[in-house]
Amino acid sequence: MSDVGNWNDAASELDAIVASFDEGEVSVDELFVKLERATTIIESLEARLDATKAKVDELAPRLSKVLESE
Amino acid sequence: MEDDSSGSDEVLEVGAFYQLLTAQLESAFGRRHPHWVRGEIAKVYEKGHVYVDLVDAGSASSDAKRPVLNAHCWATPWAPLKKKLAAEGVTLSAGLIVNLFGYVDVYAPQGRIGFTITQIDVQGLLGDVARRRAELIARLTAEGLLEANKKVTISPVPLRVGLVASPGTEGYSDFTGQLLHSGYGFHVILVKSAVQGEAAPAQIVAAIQTLDAHGVDIICVVRGGGSKGDLACFDDERVARAIAASSTPVFTGIGHTGDESIADLMAHTRAITPTKLGEEIAGIVRGWHDRHVRLPSQRVLDATTEILDEATEYVAERRRTMIFAVRDRLRAEQRHLVSTRAGLVTHSRHLLTSSARTLASHRALLSAYDPKRRLAQGWSIVTGRDGVVVTSLDDVTVGETVSVLVSDGSFESTVSEKTGVTP
Repeated sequence: MSDVGNWNDAASELDAIVASFDEGEVSVDELFVKLERATTIIESLEARLDATKAKVDELAPRLSKVLESE
Repeated sequence: MEDDSSGSDEVLEVGAFYQLLTAQLESAFGRRHPHWVRGEIAKVYEKGHVYVDLVDAGSASSDAKRPVLNAHCWATPWAPLKKKLAAEGVTLSAGLIVNLFGYVDVYAPQGRIGFTITQIDVQGLLGDVARRRAELIARLTAEGLLEANKKVTISPVPLRVGLVASPGTEGYSDFTGQLLHSGYGFHVILVKSAVQGEAAPAQIVAAIQTLDAHGVDIICVVRGGGSKGDLACFDDERVARAIAASSTPVFTGIGHTGDESIADLMAHTRAITPTKLGEEIAGIVRGWHDRHVRLPSQRVLDATTEILDEATEYVAERRRTMIFAVRDRLRAEQRHLVSTRAGLVTHSRHLLTSSARTLASHRALLSAYDPKRRLAQGWSIVTGRDGVVVTSLDDVTVGETVSVLVSDGSFESTVSEKTGVTP
């Protein structure tokens, strides 16, 4: 399942995976499946973040121009 | 002709009479005997020289018999006098109470007695001007007009500026320069007006009314520094009432720092100079721009950066957490396996040792029952013809041949008798 939903849903799922690790609930059989899912989510979040940063980098100078105008 | 005790019998020609009269008047009121005369200006006319009709203060103009002094000041002495009056903001006008210093002269061709002005009491005039100014302010205050324009709501972004000024003057340049260099797109609608002199008040009033009707955000009345006389038009009642009547906020930037005209008092906002007025208007726009454009932009930028930083840190932290969590989990499993393996080895060894002991014990026990050992002790094993071990009398018959096994071999034996054993 590569669809990780929106940012909040993905973050919630990732948090749940991390929590299951923290609580020692992950068996060795589940470990790979959970790690793979967590990796998919993290990569998806990073990709979105990079795309958002690129858009922000494009827009920020336009906003800065407003700030510099006198 | 009858003799008059105070008169003379001499008959004079008209010219001689005037000569005599002039001599008499000059001896009492002439150039060498000047007088101060106080009165109200009934009429004033200037054309190089200035001509003033002076009457008793408060006398009715309808009174045909009221005394009139036809005074005049020749152009040469008038020029410095006029300058001095103008510097103090005084213009000779009808209704003004004035003290004139001068002497009587007779103009025979018209049979007129006149008064040549050599001095005007400026201090007295100033007092009168101040009094009239104070009266005007009191009147405007009583009518509630002083605050009228101040109550008009100002546009939050006053970019459409109506300007009452005289182009080319320093005040005009100072004011428009500030707007031009502010960086904001001010749209200035200029209505030219004289800003000094007798024509100025009417032009200023017309300009204010024109701009008010035009629909601008604010009306700015601008004039650079000058003498009190130059600025006197801004103390004019017509200008004051035009400002009060304006539905558009009127801003003033008139004169120098210390000048405060009645127009300033009436205005919505008063700046001390045209430059300051330009700064103030640009400041209003800048304030709005800061509050509604710059600050929100800054907040958006800051919030964006903050959200991205938090998200980046979140993902990085989760990545680290996952790596460590999986590593820890695998290590724990590894440790568990190692521990289990070690336990198994120990247990196996223990089991083997224990089994070996048990085996040895069994072996020892078994060795006690070893048939060979029994045979060596004298025991024997009897088997029938079928090879089955004989354990009972019933297993054999008399006369039967049986095999007897002893420690070092066997032999055949025949059953001759069976004897039971009594228990």
